Amino acid sequence: MLSQDAYGVEIKRELEDRLKDRLSVGSIQSALKRMEDKGLLTSEFGEASNKRGGKRKRIYTATPHAHQVLGEIKDIRADLWSSIQLVGQTFKTI
Amino acid sequence: MSERSESPRWGHKILRFFLKGDYLEEIEGDLEEVYYDNVETLGTKKAKKIYVWDIVKLLRPRLLKNLNWISKLDSIMMFTNNVKIALRVFKRDKAYTIINLLGLSTGLAIGLLIIQYVRFETSFEDFNPNADRVARITMDYMNGSTVVDQDCETYPPLSPLIVERINEAAYYTRAYSTGIETLQAGEKMFRESRIFGADSSFFEMMGYPLIHGDQNTIFRAPFEIVLTESMAYKYYNQVDVIGEMIKFHDQEEGMIFKIVGVVKDSPANTHLKFDFLISYASMKAAYDRDENTWNRNNTFAYILLQKPDDISRFQQSLINLNLDLTEEKKIKDEQVVAQLISEIHLYSDKSYEPEKNGDAQSVFFLLGVALLVILIALVNYINLSTSKSLDRAKEVGIRKVMGSSLLALRTQFFTESFMINLFSVILAFTFMFFGLDAFRNIAALPPSFSFIGDTQFWLFLGIVFVVSVFFAGVFPAFVLSSFTPAAVLKGKFGNSSMGSFMRKGLVVFQFAITCFLLVQTLTASEQIDFMRSLDKGFDKEQSIVVRAPQTAKKVALNNFKNKLTQYAEFTYASSTSCVPGLPSSELSTTTGIELSESTKDEHFNFYLYFMDEAFIPAIGFELLAGDNFLPNSLNEKQVIVNEQSIALWGIPTAEEAVGQTLDFWGERFTIKGVIKNFHQASAKSEHVAMVMLYNDGWGDYIVVKTNGGNISKHIDLIKENYEQVFVNSPFDYFFLDERYDQNFRSEEQFKQVFGLLTGFAILIACLGLYGLSSFTIAKRVKEIGIRKVLGASVIQLIMLLSKDFMKLIGYSLIIALPVSYLIIDKWLDNYAIKIDLSIWLFALPAAIMLLLAFLTVYIKTYSVAQANPSGSLRDE
Repeated sequence: MLSQDAYGVEIKRELEDRLKDRLSVGSIQSALKRMEDKGLLTSEFGEASNKRGGKRKRIYTATPHAHQVLGEIKDIRADLWSSIQLVGQTFKTI
Repeated sequence: MSERSESPRWGHKILRFFLKGDYLEEIEGDLEEVYYDNVETLGTKKAKKIYVWDIVKLLRPRLLKNLNWISKLDSIMMFTNNVKIALRVFKRDKAYTIINLLGLSTGLAIGLLIIQYVRFETSFEDFNPNADRVARITMDYMNGSTVVDQDCETYPPLSPLIVERINEAAYYTRAYSTGIETLQAGEKMFRESRIFGADSSFFEMMGYPLIHGDQNTIFRAPFEIVLTESMAYKYYNQVDVIGEMIKFHDQEEGMIFKIVGVVKDSPANTHLKFDFLISYASMKAAYDRDENTWNRNNTFAYILLQKPDDISRFQQSLINLNLDLTEEKKIKDEQVVAQLISEIHLYSDKSYEPEKNGDAQSVFFLLGVALLVILIALVNYINLSTSKSLDRAKEVGIRKVMGSSLLALRTQFFTESFMINLFSVILAFTFMFFGLDAFRNIAALPPSFSFIGDTQFWLFLGIVFVVSVFFAGVFPAFVLSSFTPAAVLKGKFGNSSMGSFMRKGLVVFQFAITCFLLVQTLTASEQIDFMRSLDKGFDKEQSIVVRAPQTAKKVALNNFKNKLTQYAEFTYASSTSCVPGLPSSELSTTTGIELSESTKDEHFNFYLYFMDEAFIPAIGFELLAGDNFLPNSLNEKQVIVNEQSIALWGIPTAEEAVGQTLDFWGERFTIKGVIKNFHQASAKSEHVAMVMLYNDGWGDYIVVKTNGGNISKHIDLIKENYEQVFVNSPFDYFFLDERYDQNFRSEEQFKQVFGLLTGFAILIACLGLYGLSSFTIAKRVKEIGIRKVLGASVIQLIMLLSKDFMKLIGYSLIIALPVSYLIIDKWLDNYAIKIDLSIWLFALPAAIMLLLAFLTVYIKTYSVAQANPSGSLRDE
């Protein structure tokens, strides 16, 4: 989704747009840090700007491992989803 | 947005404090960016709100700094464990806890109240930054080399002369009382008594910076006045009253003073309280007081020293100055002495003090007693916890077997001591707040004097707390932790003889102190009653004293007196310069009244009364010889003197004194009569030499003697006549007996505060005795059961059980009574007239102690002695 500008605020903005909800900086940051600890993300400092009070951004990039994990999650979900439909049909037949 | 609005700075601070350093820059940047985005879209207010919430939500464990203290969790857990055990101990033995808590907290509450009183008494002049370098100079009257009287007031030219001649003296200021004045501003008119003529240096030296007005330009000219904030409110309903005019009524024409400044009110803790200051030049211009006289000393004088530690050198310089002044014939049989103003309130008791001062001795006496009460409460705790040692010996044994170190055990006992002290402090503050108003009333503490901002008060509390935790904890900690586990767990355990000896010693100590307090209270109350019942030498009943206007002319005064005596309700109406009951500073004094034939050169101080012929019968002075003044001016050059005066002149009897002549003020007077000594202020002081002169046309007071009946009706009647005669002068009166009794106020206060202390000391000591006896007796229940089975009667058992305790009380009496005797004997030396020490002063407290102790022990012994022995013997 984002590649060049994937830093805290931008990720937050993106998620807010997609989820149609307000998110706090803390929730984003703690999630990012956790993911980095698990090796799903790597990060490096980007450029600073006046708007940020002279502070540098940290640009996050997903690791190959992350792509792999995402894929697994997607598969598991799809599997679960199909089993839910299955359950729904079973109920109908009772 | 044209102007960047900053994100709140404190936000950054919080982040920097809490967040991990590695994350700080990034997260701060994110926050800023979000903030400015929000400012643009939602406005500053909303943006700030979101910003704050974001910060709060950032405080998540993952983002925070390492929690180093987690590694210290072990000791915290140990501590919480100790606290838990302590709470369980408290809960298990409720009687023990309640006795300890009540004892410690009442002791502490009393201590906290007393310390407030002591702090107030010792805080005099603290508000003045110069307090340690301002000295008051006063006069000593000498007869040869002995000081016969000390006078706070000095000659007007003395202080300027001191600054001129003595190096240590930097500045001076004087405060010259104008006496009572009637002041008027617009419609408002009041009588004021705290007015002084002061030099322009007064404000700087005495610590009264001007709220309004300019210190550097005022008080150069006469008819300038400075008033306090509350006076400004009283007369003008506002504080900034610069430039307003205020009228002094009591001089012939009335005088107009211009207000040039407003200062803060004099605090309660200063010896010199005032409401108004007028420029010193006004004393000459308005009151015609000679600035250069060495004949009349009526002004307080203060010297600002160059350096705070100059006082002893300054006093040395004064010795030389005294020699010079005597040589220059400026003073005669007098010496000038100096004292620091910070020492006036507690250590100075001279004539003409601006107000009645405190007394260091009784202040520190009370402090000592308060500490004793706290000590008694501590002893309770020590005794109860060590006597409970048997209950806890097994616990200690188990702990030791499980590997507890000695240190850990001691920590446990100190934690208990800490906890119980902590609860006591909380409880003590609760008690204190309930008792504060009543105590302020008794101890005459101004409500404005608060302990909350007083660091010394908190320091005292801190010290008492630490000492109390230590002493209450140290004995249990060392006695209980010293048990050898093997012996204890095998059940071989007895009370150590050392422990029980200490306990007994402490009980003796407690009751000895209590007994002393009781003796002291009884003596103080006897002494005060005795002084009150003493023959005062005058009749204070049914007299109303009216203040006469200072401008009152002879005609008006006599008119008023005549009007009153026409009523059947009033037997006498008399004008006088003073009445008994007022401080002797209201009397004028003079030295050097000598018998005409005397060749001795003595210089005693005589107090003077000016009165009309009705005064002696109205006030009830007893004429021992000679006659009263006659009702006309034939009395000129005649005086009536008191016994003390003729004793000073060496005349043996009153009869011989009548007709003798006296020389003073360059004239010759004949002694017309001799009256019995009377007490001017109170029986505390010795009789002073008095000389009464006749003057029927002038007086500050009018004494109206009534023949009983409705007092308020009398006052209405007097007021009605007063207003007819003295137009434009406020009516002001007091009752002679009430005023005289006020002189015993400080004694009454002392008695009440002391009584309070004693009451609580007894309560706490009995509480301890009760606790101790219940524990001891609980250990002997089986023994009692067996004795009862074998035929002992209830009375025998009670005697058996109480015997040990009564013995202890006996020992404490043996110690306390002789010590009390010594202390009380010394205490009574403070009084000129004192009671004889009777056996009752000691026998009664001793009896009370024995009875109280017996009753305390009896409550417990009785229930045990009359219980059915089968109950105690059955269970094993």
